[in-house]
Amino acid sequence: MKGQGLRLYAILYLIFLYAPIVLLPIFAFNDATIISFPLRGFTTKWFAALADLPTLHLALKNSLIIAVSSSVLATTLGIFAARASTRYEFPGKGGLMGLIMLPLVLPEVIVAMSLLMVLLGIGIDLAIWTVILGHTLICTPFAIAILSAAFQSLDKSLEEAAYDLGESKLSTFRLITLPLVMPGIISSLLISFTISLDEFIIAFFLAGSEPTLPVYIYSQLRFPKQIPAIMALGTILVALSVLLLTIAEYFRRRGLKKTGAKDTGGFL
Amino acid sequence: MNTVPHAAPAPIASRPTMIEFRDVHKYYGDYHALRGINATIKAGEFFSLLGPSGCGKTTLLRTIAGFEDISSGAVLIDGKHMADVPANVRPTNMVFQSYAIFPHLTVEQNVGFGLRREGGTSAEKARRVEEALEMVGLKGYGKRAAHALSGGQRQRVALARALILKPKVLLLDEPLSALDKKMREQMQVELIRLQRQVGITFILVTHDQEEALVMSDRIAVMFEGQIAQLADPETLYRRPNSRQVANFIGVMNFLPARVLTEAAGRIAIDVQGLGQTEIDATQAPGAITGGETSVGFRPETLTMLYEGQTTTERETPGTIEEVVYYGDMTYYDVRLDGVDSPVRISMRNVFGRPVLDIGTRTRVAWSAGALVLFR
Ligand SMILES: Nc1ncnc2c1ncn2[C@@H]1O[C@H](COP(=O)(O)OP(=O)(O)O)[C@@H](O)[C@H]1O
Ligand SMILES: [Mg+2]
Repeated sequence: MKGQGLRLYAILYLIFLYAPIVLLPIFAFNDATIISFPLRGFTTKWFAALADLPTLHLALKNSLIIAVSSSVLATTLGIFAARASTRYEFPGKGGLMGLIMLPLVLPEVIVAMSLLMVLLGIGIDLAIWTVILGHTLICTPFAIAILSAAFQSLDKSLEEAAYDLGESKLSTFRLITLPLVMPGIISSLLISFTISLDEFIIAFFLAGSEPTLPVYIYSQLRFPKQIPAIMALGTILVALSVLLLTIAEYFRRRGLKKTGAKDTGGFL
Repeated sequence: MNTVPHAAPAPIASRPTMIEFRDVHKYYGDYHALRGINATIKAGEFFSLLGPSGCGKTTLLRTIAGFEDISSGAVLIDGKHMADVPANVRPTNMVFQSYAIFPHLTVEQNVGFGLRREGGTSAEKARRVEEALEMVGLKGYGKRAAHALSGGQRQRVALARALILKPKVLLLDEPLSALDKKMREQMQVELIRLQRQVGITFILVTHDQEEALVMSDRIAVMFEGQIAQLADPETLYRRPNSRQVANFIGVMNFLPARVLTEAAGRIAIDVQGLGQTEIDATQAPGAITGGETSVGFRPETLTMLYEGQTTTERETPGTIEEVVYYGDMTYYDVRLDGVDSPVRISMRNVFGRPVLDIGTRTRVAWSAGALVLFR
């Protein structure tokens, strides 16, 4: 009986989680401007319509630039921080790591507002790179959390062995450390990319005149006739996300197999 | 027991010095991990650091490799001060306790890792890798993925990888502790053979006294960051310089004793249960101060006499309190008359002589020459 209740809960939970996402492609292919049942018929015209929206293209380009830049930046910073926190002991380490991880629980609107005030205060024009700055800030804690786990599971004597065999500290990092934490790095890049791509508040506050994808979508929701096209866009994004996760999981599993490591759970 | 053919190597004392520790101290924060280590290790020697877990063996080994800075004192390798020499240019290579096999590389990439920095054609390097693999009995394993190897094979890869660079000193941190008993005994013999073959200094860290006795030319017994005794296996076994060393290596019986007189290299003592006897001064390797002390003797230096058997040695009566049968051997715990606690006697089981029962009265033969006097 207990198992039954649990199963019901799981089913309801999954419906709640995925029903809206399932609705996306349904209405994206529906031949009507109004989002309501019954469906009117099959069409791909909403997808075709996406091709004629120059602002969308600009927003997409901006979002990609921002997501790629901030995921690379956050992951790079994450590597240094995770490395330092797992390998070295230094005074005030706990407090410092706490401060670095703080944006994880800080309301984004606070981060966005304080960043905006600082930037305006020192007279910096808002642009794509200010969004990159904000996104790097919120992605770095995630990157550190993921990479710390990767560095923690790395046997310290592997690096010592390479150093003992004549490599420099730097080449040891390149030849041993980096390949072995690569699954963590890929995870970090991917998570940061996803966080940045759909982040709204910071992008809205800091983008100036440059729209990002979520900001653009939000602005279009005011025009009812645009909604089916937005549905089509959403469908593409969902498909791309699934594809991206699948690719990342493939590489992660291949990495595990190559080093014979135990699978400690991934995304899929 | 393992046997290895002897090639009559030069006596240890006459060989040149390879490693020298000069009053080495090491602190981890407030913790005093190495407390004044002084020792020299000779070229081509199989040297062991033996001691209980946490006594500083690994720390001392890592000061040779260059992974651990020392707080004071000096470490010299082949006559050169190592203070400013980083680990990656020291003439030492290490076999790690975890083996530290690079899991993302093949066996031959692991073994050839140290050659990356060396000159020479790739054909030449491939030949050296093949040679190294052959030396450790892994010929033909080169293309395997390193992570798919068994414990014993990983150990061999780690050995080949460290030896391929022809270091002056090979450092081994408990290399056999992860292997099962059979494999361990096999690898002990192979390590001795390998050391004879390459002729370089091996420094082995182990907490297993039997392993140290079997493999080493000399052993440094360590307790709490200090070397308690440094000697060849036989001396350590027969003439331990303290009760602590005696207890750590093999089984040792102790009886309370009193020093009566000391003159001309002879010491007269009175031992509980055994009575008065005289020993040579060399049988008291630790400093003795006279007065109340104790003597020790190994279980196999005692013999239980059978009905009617006579001996030219001294004999003492006693009662058997415990019998432990090992097949080839039997261990008896015998309480000698007038002694507080039983002593252990090991007897080889001989055909035609039955194992004796608990409670049997017996006579124990012993000789003064087998006694060790402690302070
Ligand atoms: N990096 C370190 N920081 C603090 N204490 C350490 C460190 N490494 C070893 N120690 C301490 O030094 C002592 C000796 O350690 P170790 O040399 O590893 O002992 P052994 O190899 O003989 O078991 C132990 O008490 C251990 O806790
Ligand atoms: Mg150790």
